[in-house]
Amino acid sequence: MIIPLLKGLATTLRHVFTKPITLQYPEEKRQVAPRWRGHPELTINEDGGRRCVACTLCMVVCPSNAIKGIEAAEGQEHEKYPVAFTIDLTRCIFCGFCQEACPKGAIKLNNLYELAQYEKSLLILDIDRATQKKSELRMADWL
Amino acid sequence: MVNLTIDGRAIQATKGQTILEVADANGIFIPRLCYHPALKPIGACRICVVEVKPGPPRPLPACATPVNEGMEVVTNSERVLKIREELMKLVLINHALECPICDKGGECELQDLTHALGVDQVDLEAVKLAPNHDYESLFVERHPDRCVTCGRCVHVCRDHVGAMAINFMHRGYFTELGSGQLPLDCEFCGSCIDICPVGALINKLWKYRARAWEVEKTETVCPFCGGGCTYELHTKNDRILRVRNEKSILLCSRGRFGFPVVEAPDRLKTPLIKENGEFREASWDEALDLVAAKFKEVAENAGPNAIYGVGSARATNEANYLFQKFFRQGLGSNQVDNPGRYTYIRALRGLASVFGVPQVSGVEASSAALLPYHSPLKLGAEAQGSGFPFVLGHFDDLPKADLVLVLGADVTPEMPPLGWKLLRALDNENCRLVLANPRRTKFDRYAHVSLRYKPGTERILLAGLLKAFLADNPEWTPAISATGLEELKESLKKVGPKEVSQKTGVDDALIKETAALLAQAQAPAILCGTELLAQDKGEQNVQALADLFLLIGKPGIPGSAVYPVAEKNNSRGVCEAGVMAEHLPGYAHLDEAAGGTPLPEMLDKLEAGDPAAPQALYLLGGDLLRAVPHRSRTEKVLKKAGFIVVQDAFLTDTAKLAQVVLPVTVHAEQEGTFISSDGTLGVLAQAIPAPGVRPDWQIINQLGEKMGYKLGAGHPQQIFRELAQSVPLWAGLSPKASYPLMPGTVSGTFIPFDVDLSLPGRRPYTLIVGKALNHSGTFTTHAPDGTLKLMSEATLQLNPEDAQNLGLSNGETAKVISSQGEVSLPVALAPEMPAGVVFLAEHFAEPPVHLLTLNSNLVRVTIQKG
Repeated sequence: MIIPLLKGLATTLRHVFTKPITLQYPEEKRQVAPRWRGHPELTINEDGGRRCVACTLCMVVCPSNAIKGIEAAEGQEHEKYPVAFTIDLTRCIFCGFCQEACPKGAIKLNNLYELAQYEKSLLILDIDRATQKKSELRMADWL
Repeated sequence: MVNLTIDGRAIQATKGQTILEVADANGIFIPRLCYHPALKPIGACRICVVEVKPGPPRPLPACATPVNEGMEVVTNSERVLKIREELMKLVLINHALECPICDKGGECELQDLTHALGVDQVDLEAVKLAPNHDYESLFVERHPDRCVTCGRCVHVCRDHVGAMAINFMHRGYFTELGSGQLPLDCEFCGSCIDICPVGALINKLWKYRARAWEVEKTETVCPFCGGGCTYELHTKNDRILRVRNEKSILLCSRGRFGFPVVEAPDRLKTPLIKENGEFREASWDEALDLVAAKFKEVAENAGPNAIYGVGSARATNEANYLFQKFFRQGLGSNQVDNPGRYTYIRALRGLASVFGVPQVSGVEASSAALLPYHSPLKLGAEAQGSGFPFVLGHFDDLPKADLVLVLGADVTPEMPPLGWKLLRALDNENCRLVLANPRRTKFDRYAHVSLRYKPGTERILLAGLLKAFLADNPEWTPAISATGLEELKESLKKVGPKEVSQKTGVDDALIKETAALLAQAQAPAILCGTELLAQDKGEQNVQALADLFLLIGKPGIPGSAVYPVAEKNNSRGVCEAGVMAEHLPGYAHLDEAAGGTPLPEMLDKLEAGDPAAPQALYLLGGDLLRAVPHRSRTEKVLKKAGFIVVQDAFLTDTAKLAQVVLPVTVHAEQEGTFISSDGTLGVLAQAIPAPGVRPDWQIINQLGEKMGYKLGAGHPQQIFRELAQSVPLWAGLSPKASYPLMPGTVSGTFIPFDVDLSLPGRRPYTLIVGKALNHSGTFTTHAPDGTLKLMSEATLQLNPEDAQNLGLSNGETAKVISSQGEVSLPVALAPEMPAGVVFLAEHFAEPPVHLLTLNSNLVRVTIQKG
């Protein structure tokens, strides 16, 4: 009668001293696969400028209307660049169509997955918040 | 009819059609690049090649090959597919891959064609050429690295606009679009931009503001001349971004680039009430209550005739109709008129005196369900009409004329679409153009005879022409049944044999030559413009012209007609809607006693302090100070009117004299109709909202309500129905159709005219006040940009020799002095001006040109270095 009970306890006791096999989230962050689809963001090139030329193809292809309000302006060298760009993460379905449509590699799904917020408005990214800050976090195969 | 097969399908076609046209009409797609339906076939790209049997062994371009009986056409054989692919590869060799930023992206014909032909790789190589971008030119940006050398822009510029500003440079692979100079110096109509299949020519106002697929398109009518072009406003987020004419592509500079005036910061946004000499903003209710109370007070104290209304050639037919209804039915007076009295009404009256006022019979009420802006009247089986509208021509018929006499009109600035039609008429090599103008104008280049007469001698010239014509053809019987020829001949005897060439400065031989051309013409057309109409004897000028047409005209033949230029978008409509002292809607005649006072007489009465002078003025737009000659007098006189209400989009000089100013919508913000110069009904559609301001008809209706009148206007469509009900001339009229639609009989009476020189004074120079190409009235001078960039100020156009004698050079300030006043303005040397004649465009607020004039657009002046 008591023997099975002790067997069970022994198993438990044995595992107390072994290395845990599950990921210790949130203390430990999960390494995502290279093809992971996080949230879309505007990429920057070496000199820190946005690659985006405001062609609006991502806006056109977006199936959930998460990308909107793209406004373009003309630069000194007659280049076209965005002055307004909104990515609405409350609408985004992380399909990656935008990155596929982009002819300039200027919008890319990053590897972030902790997107929950207490306030909805924080999920609506304007052009500055939609632009990547730490390029080292991102995968190397942008282009 | 021609029978042929395309890809095995048996098809019937009309002789003269090309293979491409027939294929399009039958839903067979043949790829093309340089072909555009608005142009003649160019045949440059060869993408549309097809195999034709019987025919040469090589494939033929479908766009330039006419169909023949028994023709067998193959559009998709392996050989032509291969040829098309190779040609596309050649086109794409070094085509700049800028689709993401190219404004043509999404509506690019090269993109579509690349998709359609499935060309995904170009395995050819060629040297890269320097892009030679042109970023400097106004409105047009040129990207030669995107050009496919189709030649459309060159053709549209040369054959349709007549500017000849761009052409190809170099040959073969190195062919490049050039203007010979940088930056571009042309009419800036921008037609090349919209005809370009790719993004080689870019509209700078549109650049980077939206992608082609994002815009909403609203079809409406251009408000910048009486031509009545229909165009599409492309809007995004309630802002107009560009204007296009999808069908014929052609628009002029003010049509294409004049739209920013809608967003002018000096547009009025709220009603204004004057208190202690200062305007303050007021609510609509307050302003309308004040006007209603004041009008009631005047009407009770001095009778309804003490309120005078001036309609507007800018406002819609509906607004103008309701305006006169407010006076005639509401107040019970006929004291309305419109500023066309100084120009267009003179043409109408002159023509009416010779050809009679319109009479229409056999028109019946239509029982069919009524579509918007369709006349509720239809033509009966016996419908008949007569009177002057039947000698007014449709623009589309002008190309059928075989002689065009242009008198006193610089056609392109006054009405660009009429200029385009004139070029079409000249496509016919048998068409003769006689150009009579004191200045050299654009069409002198095409003229067979140029009559350079002295300003103000139009009637002498016409008398000379008539005399020479009748001397050559003593037995001539006019094609139109006419009376009074003997009296006319008698009156012409007063003109001495040498008098004509002496006074007009036109050689006798040229007059004889013209008379001979007139006698040969099978379909003569006569064009006249505001230069002729704005003279004090403008009406007699038109009478003389009408006499000439009565003699030589053949109204039964298409193209043979009179084409008076109506300056503004609704110059003709305002008269037909009944805002005329002597006519009800549809030119229904009022007898002398019942009729109102014409505008000039009203001003005279005000000046004289006549007890019958109005005590309140209601002006439906129209800046009288800037449109009526002798400005200082007009200003003094208007100040005598006790109470002035102005309905306008801007605080114009006239509005500044008003006690109440009511802000109104402009074309893009309202619904309604315009009648173009040739009698085409143009329908406006609202493209953008207009916060704060209201359409003219709504204001008049609300004012009527406050005064206790039941004008009963609910919607422009309903007002139009009511208006069209009372205009039998419009029977059967529908949007974009031209009236009169019933058969007409034309008869006339020759009216002898005087041949005085209408230009008194001894000052050495003659000033002509006229129109410039880049502006429309005063409307376009408010824009934050648009055509103001092309012409930002008025300049005195002076012959270089005259300038030298005066010691003036280009850009220097000159002082122009007439008996009425003086103004100072910069000089522009203009070789097209004859010696002793100077020209000044009247659009701008500064300098106020009409300070110089007395009763005409011509005035003698002295010019000094200022």
